Amino acid sequence: MISKFHLLPGLLLIAGCATTTPVDIQGNSSQLESRQIQTRQYDTLDKALTMRSAVATLQDLGFTIDQADAELGVITATRYDQYTMRMTVTVVQRGNERVSVRANARIGENPVTDAETYQDFFVALDKAMFLTLQHID
Amino acid sequence: MRGAMGKLVVPMLGAMLVGSLAGCVTDAVPKDALRLPESSLELRSLQTRKLAAPSEVAILTATVAVLQDMEFNIDRIEKPLGVISASKLSDADDKGEKTGLFFLDLLCAAGGGSDCDNMSTAKDKQRLFLTMVVLPSLERNGEYSVRVTIQRVIYDKEDRVRIRERIKTPEIYQKVFANLRQSLAIEVNQS
Repeated sequence: MISKFHLLPGLLLIAGCATTTPVDIQGNSSQLESRQIQTRQYDTLDKALTMRSAVATLQDLGFTIDQADAELGVITATRYDQYTMRMTVTVVQRGNERVSVRANARIGENPVTDAETYQDFFVALDKAMFLTLQHID
Repeated sequence: MRGAMGKLVVPMLGAMLVGSLAGCVTDAVPKDALRLPESSLELRSLQTRKLAAPSEVAILTATVAVLQDMEFNIDRIEKPLGVISASKLSDADDKGEKTGLFFLDLLCAAGGGSDCDNMSTAKDKQRLFLTMVVLPSLERNGEYSVRVTIQRVIYDKEDRVRIRERIKTPEIYQKVFANLRQSLAIEVNQS
């Protein structure tokens, strides 16, 4: 006699990974949380110099730039390494005091969600901002 | 008997569950994915030159021309940021490498080998991605800072990715800048 218990392994194997492919429009992370770890505010009014630093940072990290838009403050870049990493960096003027920089990254089909990786990016950006402000480019 | 089977079923189920879940696990994000390498300043200086030019248009024109000289296609330009993105798909087969592999096959066959197919490992295509950032120097008027970064992906004959790498060879960047200086000289003489 085959009990329900014996059917379970078979069902698990059949279910395995998803059988249907839903449209992944939402992503997995919460909107507020991801914004928080992906964003830094800089006490500068110079959006252009911030963008210049962001491009330099991406180059420092080995990316080539796919496209950049100075007016909208958007930079998209790709790095071909052991894996393919794609990043979008946005630079937005916030009021009359600050410039906000947001970065988000994907490696292959996976979004980068850990705070430490973004922290590393902003450490690199801080260094590039410093060099730019010291007029060392 | 039934008791012994029962004892076996639970660990088996556990193993199967782990196995089926493991199948869904995707590659983790490498810890140092966005960590600045220690050699970044060295690489930055290798990739950067300061060049004097009569105007921003002159140096951008010379840069585009040099990319055309090197048979790149311009993908995008964003002038306010000085960013030029270019790429090209080309043959990755180095003639010397092909000859070497051919002789390797010959030697292998002469030695009585039956599986002498080194030629099939010859790389086939490479796609090069290049970014040039040309901006007025923050230090001096009339001087421009030019930084170039290059990456490439090599595909085999079946279009499978074989190698993905950033180019760090100093000679490659020296060659690009030598070409750019020449292009700039031509541009200045013609205008």
